[in-house]
Amino acid sequence: MSSPLRIDPARALQEMAEFQRRLAAGLPRLRGLSEPGYADTPREAVYREDKLTVWHMLGEREPTAKTPTLIVYALVNTVWMTDLQPDRSLVRNLLAQGEDVYLIDWGYPDGADRWLTLDDYLNGYLDRCVDAVRARHGLDAVNLLGICQGGAFSLCYTAMHPEKVRNLVTMVTPVDFRTPDNMLSHWVQDVDADLFVDTLGNVPAALMNWVYLTLKPVRLLQQKYVAMVDILDKPAELENFLRMERWIFDSPDQAGEAFRQFIKDFYQGNKLVKGTLEIGGRPVDLGMVTQPVLNIYAEQDHLVPPDASRALARHVGSTDYTELPFKGGHIGIYVSGRAQREVAPAIHRWLAQR
Amino acid sequence: MAGQADEFLQGWQALARDSWDAWLRGLQPPAPAGGAADEPLPHMASLKPYLDWLQGMAAGTTHAAPAWPAQGGPFPHASFPGGPAFAVPPPGADPGAAWLAWWQQALAQPAGAAPVAAFGYTREQQLQQQALAAAMAECRETGARYQALLQRAGSQGVARLQAKLADMAAAGQAVDSLKALYDLWVDAAEDAYAEIALTDEFREAYGAMSNAQMKLRRLQRQLVEQCSRELGVPTRGEVDSLGQRLQQVRRELRTVRGDAGTGALAAVRAELDALARRLDALEGRRDMAVKTASRPVAKRAKAPPAARRAAPPAKRPAPRGRK
Repeated sequence: MSSPLRIDPARALQEMAEFQRRLAAGLPRLRGLSEPGYADTPREAVYREDKLTVWHMLGEREPTAKTPTLIVYALVNTVWMTDLQPDRSLVRNLLAQGEDVYLIDWGYPDGADRWLTLDDYLNGYLDRCVDAVRARHGLDAVNLLGICQGGAFSLCYTAMHPEKVRNLVTMVTPVDFRTPDNMLSHWVQDVDADLFVDTLGNVPAALMNWVYLTLKPVRLLQQKYVAMVDILDKPAELENFLRMERWIFDSPDQAGEAFRQFIKDFYQGNKLVKGTLEIGGRPVDLGMVTQPVLNIYAEQDHLVPPDASRALARHVGSTDYTELPFKGGHIGIYVSGRAQREVAPAIHRWLAQR
Repeated sequence: MAGQADEFLQGWQALARDSWDAWLRGLQPPAPAGGAADEPLPHMASLKPYLDWLQGMAAGTTHAAPAWPAQGGPFPHASFPGGPAFAVPPPGADPGAAWLAWWQQALAQPAGAAPVAAFGYTREQQLQQQALAAAMAECRETGARYQALLQRAGSQGVARLQAKLADMAAAGQAVDSLKALYDLWVDAAEDAYAEIALTDEFREAYGAMSNAQMKLRRLQRQLVEQCSRELGVPTRGEVDSLGQRLQQVRRELRTVRGDAGTGALAAVRAELDALARRLDALEGRRDMAVKTASRPVAKRAKAPPAARRAAPPAKRPAPRGRK
């Protein structure tokens, strides 16, 4: 059997030289670059409390949707993934479809937020955000669009306050936290969450980022930056790359108590699907979620495996449940070209039918 | 074939290292003229002995702890475990130097050695130091287990690459560039890592390492807080305690405010409304009875006790609607 390596030495030398040339030529371009901005879709703050802000996102035309949609993002990273840049913005695409979009920017917790619990977040902050949007529109209920951990929060909130939610959209949302391919969940099973939070207080963003990077260490810590050399001479691509780097690493610390509960009850206890979850003394029963539900998951999601999301079908009480698979990953579902064409129109169509 | 693959891999890795070194050098800001480019944090220089000592500890060899700077030896028995329990520092001596020296020696004991029973005036400090030493040892041990698994993943990544190359050869496919070979290696390395990262062994090692690091950090924080308290500096623990109380008060305040609208107070209001309606009904029946009797009354009829309390002297306002 012959070797499949047919690398001509002269060509290999040329390849190495070319890499070095690109590297050397590209380095000066990195120096002095300004911080890449997000899309910054026009918006107005309609509610503020502590560090959170509810933004009303403003489109180029008046919304046609009768019921506003409130985006509930995760506490990890920032909500600006949904409005990353003008041509990669879930928010702009929803606005263009005629939806009336609000989103919650949770802000950056510090030591003063160390004791915020999931009860404070869901029955406190989130409930008051929903009330603020309801009051603005004079409605009993609004649509929720929960993303990742924010999707799990939206499910819990809907189960506890069903009268305030009209339709529920979940995106890349973990429901069953103990699927065999869930690496994050696997790692955290033997971690002493009490010791962890009692020691650290708030969980530093840098630590969270490191954990995420080590899910795919060679790809995320090396290959990605080797590939960056190829775009050093392409200003637009380089800017996009650096914008994504900004979003990845510009992430908030996690409020200690909420983190403790999330790890113990969701990841370790898997109580959301067991039906044993309580938040602030209130039972959280997914069977209480009888609203129409659209569950969108990513088929190549390494953070929230598809099975973790699809489990919702078996536990939700709604008889109007729709699943939408997306060909992409956990981030690609917001920023890929396919996502721009498919995701917002699908959400709009689904909402318009209800 | 495998040897050839290894050779290419090694060559490629050496190239990658050189490239990254060059890149990192390029990213360094230019050194100021005459500046100390080799000391980017000159203010950290005072920490060097401590960092050296930590580095020695991290090396993990049984007697690897570097010599602590000479302390003057106020405790001649410091080499004897438990010696500080009996020693009395002479006036003017640095009391911390003795326990640091003892600590250094205690930490240099063979790994796994049973701690010496603590007693005497410094009993608590001895226990703290022993706990810290044990936590450091546990950190080293669990960290080594984790690193061993990473190394295993690396080795298996290379084995997978070789297998992929063999499959390609069998299928008549070829790798014709270093970049293609590198990408193939990344895929193989990630596959091998994912397989190991999902094993029970990895999960246990990961949890053990995390828990050991937290234990050590907590002990370090306790020591820092102890020193801070002695210096009158507020500590993280105190700030946390205040924060916890404040958050509890905020919750209670919101509950009380919420109750004002929808909770217990609303129930009281509803009860009052119901009583007022009953009173209206009662008074209505009484007025009817008075008219029906059609005879003068010398004295106002006695109202029920509740009505007496609630009834205004003149015109009764309409019952309050429930909110």
